[in-house]
Amino acid sequence: MRSIPENWIQRVVAELRRPVRLDEEFDRNVMTVIRGMPRHRHRAWTRALRPRTITFSPLISGIAAAALLAVTLSVGHAIGTLRAARAASGRPDVAVDRGNPGTRARRPVQFVLIAPTARKVQVVGDFNDWDASHAEFSAEHRGGGVWSVTAAVPEGHHRYSFVVDDSVWVADPTAPRALDDDFGMPNSALVVGGDLTQ
Amino acid sequence: MDRSSDAQIVARVLRGDAELYAELVERYRDRYARYALHMLGNREDAEEALQDAFTRAYRSLARCEDPERFGAWLFRILVNRCRTVGARRGRRSRTFVSDDLALHEAAEEHPAERNAWREEIDRALSQLRPEQREAFLLKYVEELGYDEMSRLTGAGVSALKMRVMRACDRLRELLSDVRNGREVSEEHGRPEVNDAKHS
Amino acid sequence: MMWLARAGRMIVGAWCVVSVGSRIATAQGGGDARLARLDSATRVAVAVVVDSARRSRLPMEPLVDKALEGAKKGAEDDRIVAAVRGLFAELRTARSALGPGASTDEINAGASAIHAGLPMRNLAQLRAASQHAGRSRVTLPLTVLTDLVARGVPVGVASDVILSLAKAGLRDPDFTMFQRNVRLDIEHGADAATAAQTRARGAALHGGRAT
Repeated sequence: MRSIPENWIQRVVAELRRPVRLDEEFDRNVMTVIRGMPRHRHRAWTRALRPRTITFSPLISGIAAAALLAVTLSVGHAIGTLRAARAASGRPDVAVDRGNPGTRARRPVQFVLIAPTARKVQVVGDFNDWDASHAEFSAEHRGGGVWSVTAAVPEGHHRYSFVVDDSVWVADPTAPRALDDDFGMPNSALVVGGDLTQ
Repeated sequence: MDRSSDAQIVARVLRGDAELYAELVERYRDRYARYALHMLGNREDAEEALQDAFTRAYRSLARCEDPERFGAWLFRILVNRCRTVGARRGRRSRTFVSDDLALHEAAEEHPAERNAWREEIDRALSQLRPEQREAFLLKYVEELGYDEMSRLTGAGVSALKMRVMRACDRLRELLSDVRNGREVSEEHGRPEVNDAKHS
Repeated sequence: MMWLARAGRMIVGAWCVVSVGSRIATAQGGGDARLARLDSATRVAVAVVVDSARRSRLPMEPLVDKALEGAKKGAEDDRIVAAVRGLFAELRTARSALGPGASTDEINAGASAIHAGLPMRNLAQLRAASQHAGRSRVTLPLTVLTDLVARGVPVGVASDVILSLAKAGLRDPDFTMFQRNVRLDIEHGADAATAAQTRARGAALHGGRAT
């Protein structure tokens, strides 16, 4: 039986101590989050409140103001151009995504839930931005505890759930389950037409 | 020009100069990425834990009692984040070591060639219990003393020594088994996906 | 001329406020209006992940949906960000396994399967087997696989079952029928793995009809 060298632990540790290098994208991502957080301004705020005298000549004031105006207009124009490009994709402020659900054909899908004691049943999912206020996804009570709604859903793969009485999340008992345990409440999966048929 | 100390940078960030925080990110990023990577086993989880640690540290910066030791304080946050991320991802398969496709992807990301010995080490490390892996890495790779490890982890020194010892025993056993060409049964640590149980 | 100097100082100050304010607003990731339900730090963290997906040419919509789902379900901000990051990693893994020609739906379904514990290698095998059997997409097989795991079938068994059905060239309606049959069997008390394996044998022979 071959045994490992006596100095195996030193070799293991030497290997594990080898440097790891992350790229600059990591730094950029961290700083993007940092910039979105409230700034520490414990002394900066105090300093801002302290009256100061800053002296500019009228000429310098005018030039500085004109320069800042030009810079701000340029930045604003760039942001506006970017947002216009994104808006042109049909989904404002979200970059063009191949296969964007907003551009897909919609098919009628019937959702049915048996809930005899419910007062209200809604369908929420990625097809309606998980927003229960969409009237077309509010189920009607058909009698005998049967709730149903037929709504137009874009072709493709979706996750959804029923919300009963604005508070209880119920997966569709007859649909495939999506193993989404991120938020502790069940989801169902739905695959609608399109490139799925052969 | 001498570079600023951690305390100097912390002081300026606290006065509102948030952009200077990038300097601290750059100082500690690679070194602590190493720990997170070995602890969690894949780059995505490691980057998540590390990014979380940096942002939490920024948010709580005013509570850093000894800014000269910002690095150690940040590391404590990272150790806790790794535990959280590791616990949450415990059921999922690891995207490295045993998967040919993942190796290929890893080779694309890392110009340096991964040798077989490194693969054996990574696989063995992944099979330790999380607390044993943590203790082993802190002791031998991060070269911390047991007192400092105790402060970091909250565990007693005796318990930490036991974990390190067991980690070494288990690693030795796993590495011997690999060299003997036998398959290693996984009893501890990160579960194989075929053993995943779902209710 | 004093008034001109004062006016100059006021203009400089005002433009500084406007410039910095717009920069902070942009950095806060206010891009997708739907994410306004999240607090600013969470919105920025999610925007960073979405931007990473954009640069990696991964589907971004599932990431936004995940954040919206979390907001709707009242999840804590940390949990939302973690879920979005986790999904990003799963989307990337799924795309690597499925190959560059994978559709958004396949990548999405693949990410769910990865989340359920399916190894990357098995996902690639399913893709290869499906193509060999003349099947264009694996979205529904992956959805059914995830459902099996969610109902208690061990992921290794579920993977083997779905792979066998893909090799047999099962069509979507047959996969749907197979899923329904297994579900009913489990609801009637059958062991999940046994139900899946039994029904798979029948589905492969008879195209999903109950024997």
